[in-house]
Amino acid sequence: MLASRGKRTEFERQALAHLDALYGAAYRLTRNARDAEDLVQDSLLRAYRFWDSFQQDSNCKAWLLRIVTNTFINEYQRKKRSREVLDAASAEQDATDGVLVQASAFDKQSPAQAMLANSVSDDVQRALDSLPDDFRTAVILCDMQGLSYKEIAEIMECPVGTVMSRLFRGRKLLAAALRDFAVSEGYVKNAGEDPTKKTIDLEKYRATRKAREGSQ
Amino acid sequence: MSLCESIDTLAMAYLDDELAAEERHELEAHMTECAACRAQLDGERHEHMMLRNALVAPPAPDMLRAKIGIALDGEDRAARRRWTGYLLPGSAMLAAAAAIAMFVGVKPAGEHEVGTVSREAVRQQMRQLPLERGPETGNWLHANFQLDPQPNDNLLGTRLLPHGVNGHDGALLAYQMDLEGRRFVATVLAVRDIRDEEMQDGDEVKIGERTLHVMQQDGQTAVSYVDSRRHIGFLYMAPDIAPNELVWLAGSGLLPPR
Repeated sequence: MLASRGKRTEFERQALAHLDALYGAAYRLTRNARDAEDLVQDSLLRAYRFWDSFQQDSNCKAWLLRIVTNTFINEYQRKKRSREVLDAASAEQDATDGVLVQASAFDKQSPAQAMLANSVSDDVQRALDSLPDDFRTAVILCDMQGLSYKEIAEIMECPVGTVMSRLFRGRKLLAAALRDFAVSEGYVKNAGEDPTKKTIDLEKYRATRKAREGSQ
Repeated sequence: MSLCESIDTLAMAYLDDELAAEERHELEAHMTECAACRAQLDGERHEHMMLRNALVAPPAPDMLRAKIGIALDGEDRAARRRWTGYLLPGSAMLAAAAAIAMFVGVKPAGEHEVGTVSREAVRQQMRQLPLERGPETGNWLHANFQLDPQPNDNLLGTRLLPHGVNGHDGALLAYQMDLEGRRFVATVLAVRDIRDEEMQDGDEVKIGERTLHVMQQDGQTAVSYVDSRRHIGFLYMAPDIAPNELVWLAGSGLLPPR
């Protein structure tokens, strides 16, 4: 009994301190206040059940965000799968083809979906809707939650290089979508260089840098 | 590969504070010499801040905070509770079931002319006001409604509405309930100094000793009950359960707990 009270106190002190952050992430992941509440409550209950397995010296917020992200992917995404406009497999490819593809994805929404999306969300939520899940998750974890590339790589179970490339492309797409909503003129393909085609590779840079130093 | 060639990668890692100290110093030194890279970094920094500002989300609602506390209480108790089993004595359950059968048999509740007190009560209930919890709340509830919330009531919180419902003192009480594993929130708006007829709108239903009224407003079902002896009106709402379940809940006398 005493042990369980101690567990509750510790959990409230360490985990519930991040409630606003978790809700924020869930709000941007689900793009819906009601789903966000359910997601946070389910995730925290899960976290409480597995509290004994949390390593006290590690980053509690990152651990909790991992649970939120996984719960979202496993349960909330499945529910939404049917109204997902883009096929998951082609989404990443399409997104790299530039903003225009994302714009046509919007047009594929039914009027009912579009109305629902408009009624419950702001421009940011709609812009986030236009991102593939992996890009959106990377941006949320980095730009909202301030996690490091390494922490995001652990949560998303992918190499750091992949995190960087998702983050770079996700940010470019989101910024473009936000700008377009701001001027509410629809999408115009950028005549200049497509930023999403750029290569992001820190490892390659480090390798060349090391070689350069070695030759000096 | 020169710094200029890798500026996309470097600017991003720099702004995310992911560069090693040496790499950072090298880039900063390069910035003082190369106007093109400096312009690019400034542009990226601007975009970075724009995104961060755009992504700021609202804080967690009070109701969520309260709900999580209750969910953890439930987890602590380990035993899953069902209000159908542990709160209602067997005979009352049978009576309630019979009444529901009657109600369902009569007719579906349609839109009715809803009286002003009821209409205002429904409106207040749908406002999603922040909930309060504290000693003053308890004192006010006791003094005005002879209600004394107990720790095990599953009360999420209350919102006091002095003079809030057409000049009547009111108190909104939100409870977390569990119906066969489905969690939902039920709200009860208690209104003081009510004459029987002031909140009797919609279809009349009798459950056990209680006479209830079922009304529809703004697409929501609400059930009212007036305690004639104490002149207190109660309006029940729970959007996540079926209307007949709400009628049962209102007729059961479970909420607000005495």
